[in-house]
Amino acid sequence: MTPAPIALSCGEPAGIGPELAEAAWSELGESLPFFWIGDPAHLPGTVPSVVIDSPAQAAKAAAQGLPVLALSMPGPRVPGVAQAAHAPGVVAAIETGVRLAQDGSAGGVCTLPIHKKALADGAGFAFPGHTEFLAHLAGVDEVVMMLASDRLRVVPVTIHIALAEVPRVLTADLLEKRIRITHRALVERFGIAAPRLAVAGLNPHAGEGGRMGHEEETLIAPVLDRLRAVGMDLRGPLPADTMFHERARAGYDAALCMYHDQALIPIKTLDFDRGVNVTLGLPFIRTSPDHGTAFDIAGRGVANPTSTIEALRMAWRMAGGKA
Amino acid sequence: MTDEFRPTLLLTMGDPTGIGPEMTARILAEGSIREAVDIILLGDRRILEMGKAQAGVSFEVDLIDVPGAADHSAKAIPMIDLANMDPATITLGKPDPKVGALVGDTLKAAVEMARSGAVHGICFAPLHKKAMFDGGYRFNDEHQLFAHLLGFNGVFREMNVLDGQWMSRVTSHVSLREALDLITHDRIIEALRLTDTMLRRAGTEAPRIAVAALNPHNGEGGLFGTEEIDIIRPAVEAAQAEGIDCQGPFPSDTVYLKAFAGDFDSVVAMYHDQGQIATKLKGFNKGVTVTSGLPIVFTTPAHGTAHDIVGKGIADTGAFVTAIKLATKLATAQHGVQSEGQPE
Repeated sequence: MTPAPIALSCGEPAGIGPELAEAAWSELGESLPFFWIGDPAHLPGTVPSVVIDSPAQAAKAAAQGLPVLALSMPGPRVPGVAQAAHAPGVVAAIETGVRLAQDGSAGGVCTLPIHKKALADGAGFAFPGHTEFLAHLAGVDEVVMMLASDRLRVVPVTIHIALAEVPRVLTADLLEKRIRITHRALVERFGIAAPRLAVAGLNPHAGEGGRMGHEEETLIAPVLDRLRAVGMDLRGPLPADTMFHERARAGYDAALCMYHDQALIPIKTLDFDRGVNVTLGLPFIRTSPDHGTAFDIAGRGVANPTSTIEALRMAWRMAGGKA
Repeated sequence: MTDEFRPTLLLTMGDPTGIGPEMTARILAEGSIREAVDIILLGDRRILEMGKAQAGVSFEVDLIDVPGAADHSAKAIPMIDLANMDPATITLGKPDPKVGALVGDTLKAAVEMARSGAVHGICFAPLHKKAMFDGGYRFNDEHQLFAHLLGFNGVFREMNVLDGQWMSRVTSHVSLREALDLITHDRIIEALRLTDTMLRRAGTEAPRIAVAALNPHNGEGGLFGTEEIDIIRPAVEAAQAEGIDCQGPFPSDTVYLKAFAGDFDSVVAMYHDQGQIATKLKGFNKGVTVTSGLPIVFTTPAHGTAHDIVGKGIADTGAFVTAIKLATKLATAQHGVQSEGQPE
């Protein structure tokens, strides 16, 4: 069965979002039905667009142009200059996408980048980012950020904190939660019946038997033992520098990394602009391109749409579509 | 620097349970490596015979007692026989602490010979680090062993070289917690100076060095850590003031891509995995590992003992040959510096 079309929320109008939506339609056309939620007046108009009344019209409209579920925002888009007056509309676009994904009229939601400060100033948006807002909308406490490309899926266990904070923030409890959510999502969202997870060590050579750090023995290994006992297929703790080459990758479906760059370095090195963000643990499918609003190049038509296109493809495939 | 200078290198066969002996035998049988450098083989003669048989090659050796006795114009390869390893007691493809201890002894003998001044560099086939450690050479890496044997207290670093790019790091084989404490202004500058020096000795006239950030997103303006602002950037600026062409800090998830694209000749990482994840994906394990900063040149192929293909005669000698050539170049450049009495 063909899934429902993917909702693409507009994100910050002053950023590269509107041009990415047009570029994505230009590449995907009818092959992958999606619709953009935003103010049609903000689109640069490099491709035709078709205003639709409901997601059900998106597949047909995609033959003619970029399907748009219209939201009205006060005033035009000024590339590079965020406007407080747009903030409520940007938030409404996300809420609309989530609502449609939750009631099944959208196969999932893909979010274009927001500008946190603009939303805080204009809409009192109090969340550190998209992910926390989505968790709040869904009424979920714990979500997991995964970065995924065709060749690698990585989950950073700690994310946006100083490296010096990592040894303190990394706890058995946190690691176990991340593994459990990842495991379940691989089953439910990626259709992998018995997921194989690789878990990196924190220290060089995974501590080399305690010679270069003890977290592997005292923290990571006991969690893995506990979860193996309940039937999970876990390997590790593995030396992080030898777990990402092709042959090693063939042995697992996702890798859990102890800190941000341990996850980001391999995926960027392997698939620089093809990695996408996937939020695991939500009651709906959510992906996003792995970059920001790029105010410095907004409006020039030079933004690279690869990550947005890949994020739409990822959401579509997760929803059961072929792409 | 004198044009006539011809360095002498000691070649050792590494861990004999691995592909070291057969690679050594094949390279020496082929022989062209000796056109640019004087080579003395150090090890057990019986192990060499085993390597020759594994590689299916034959050549003569000229057994000598001291490096000074070598006749480099003769066809026979000068060899100092340590007579310390019996092939009958080793199992191919299987790490063994007893063998690791003997491999360490061989390296120790090599360093002692080099200290006498008759040898300028040591080029060794792959070691099995765990076997050496368990055999009693309790160092976290061979670079620390070499510095220890030389009684060297100055700045030295492991560097990874592939296709003219030199990757180095401020901290290496220590826990992440210790690494965080070791990332200081002075240590970053030391790493930058040494990287610049090594690239120049290897023939890069104007090395361009990138410096990796420590924290995610380059610290995001101080939000995810302040080391970029407090430590790394000031160190980069201080090194720039010394004339080193370095830039950064750059977010570490894309800095290697910039270097691989040709924007830089080197990336200085802050910690082990930051550098090793990207460089291993790029194939630096096919390159050469250099112990930089010591008075003696040390190089080795970056790959391991390849226990899965030992004795099949199919081991690729490319990285070992590159390691010997690089040692030749570095020893020649280092000799020029030392003979002119320039400070490091």
